[in-house]
Amino acid sequence: MSKLFFDHLIVFEEIERKIKKTASSKEEREELWGLIDEVTTHKVLEKVLDKLPRAHHEEFLELFHKCPHDEITIFAYLKDKAGKSIEDDLKRDLKNLEKDLLKLFG
Amino acid sequence: MTQPASKSYRRFEEEKVQAEFVRNKLKLRSLEAKQSLFGKYPHVEKFFADRNLDLSKIREHSAKIITAGALTGSLLFTPPLLAVKVPALANIVKSLSDFEVKPPETSPQETILSSFMQILPQKVGPLDRTQEKTLEQVFKENIGINAKATLEGEHLNSTYGYIGAEQHLARFPGDNVYDMAPGLGAWGYVPADNEKWYAVVQTLYLPDWNSRQPFLQNWYKYRKVLIVNTMNGNAIVADIADAGPAAWTGKQFGGSPEVMDYLGGPRYKKGPVIMFFVDDPNNQVPLGPVDYNKVDASGLTLVQT
Repeated sequence: MSKLFFDHLIVFEEIERKIKKTASSKEEREELWGLIDEVTTHKVLEKVLDKLPRAHHEEFLELFHKCPHDEITIFAYLKDKAGKSIEDDLKRDLKNLEKDLLKLFG
Repeated sequence: MTQPASKSYRRFEEEKVQAEFVRNKLKLRSLEAKQSLFGKYPHVEKFFADRNLDLSKIREHSAKIITAGALTGSLLFTPPLLAVKVPALANIVKSLSDFEVKPPETSPQETILSSFMQILPQKVGPLDRTQEKTLEQVFKENIGINAKATLEGEHLNSTYGYIGAEQHLARFPGDNVYDMAPGLGAWGYVPADNEKWYAVVQTLYLPDWNSRQPFLQNWYKYRKVLIVNTMNGNAIVADIADAGPAAWTGKQFGGSPEVMDYLGGPRYKKGPVIMFFVDDPNNQVPLGPVDYNKVDASGLTLVQT
């Protein structure tokens, strides 16, 4: 299983539909999926670090490296260090990212 | 219904241009996202470089960690309450089939649903090997199908996850039925016998997918899987005909229109299921719905609807 701690916050169904319509082969489709994944992962990490005091960045990165899938541990850590739950903020950020990415499909 | 060749060709050309256009824009957006993160936080780039890890490949890294955790039996995803119960899981199958605790009127479907409540974690997610082994026994005794989470050393990316509705896959050039996927299946045109009851699994996220080719491509091609809807117990045998869905869809599996219809009805678009490989070396288990209420508990008889 491949899972990242923020997966439960992402449901890009409209993008999935667009890619299915756009890509003509499995390879093409998986390449587009991978690119969406890359954008999302980098954006999520940036948003998380924006909300986390600099002093905790390395510790968070260690945790992410050790258990990138573990939403319970990571979000509990973030809540503790950021002083509030960041899940709703992140969900909003991801909704905006989805809108932004959808524009690329014309 | 087929289209004139010139019209099909024009559409094909337009789609090709559109795909190229989208790919270029996405590549650019990906580059921007990396530059934005590493520009603002250079220590993040250094952190991953020091560990020889590309952030773009973090899903592969995650898959390796999860696989290692599942093999050693660590309960990474299980709530503590359930973790305490797990040592007793092996006894569940026995107690479920025990006449004294199972009234005669209990149907296999009810037994399955009851065992799901005891075995499955509260949230849909990865299962450890103990949970998978227990489910294998439950399925064998109640559904009559020898299904394995790990078969010949291969394990799916997920065994407990959400299934989503897929479209029909093309069976031959020019195939054009209602609700048809624009692209081909993972192995090209799908033979008609394989298309009706097909499943989609995330082969692309297997940690060793790229390093073990072409073996894995061949191994997964039309491999039979048992899919059980954990909400109503409906079970079906399907074959793997495509790869997906993407991780960011909130789904881990896909099913053909017929598979989805059987699992949850005509409006069923997404729901939690268990998916195991069918251990069928002599190719005796037919594809399609498994009406296991008519199956004897010893697993010798299989009634196909």
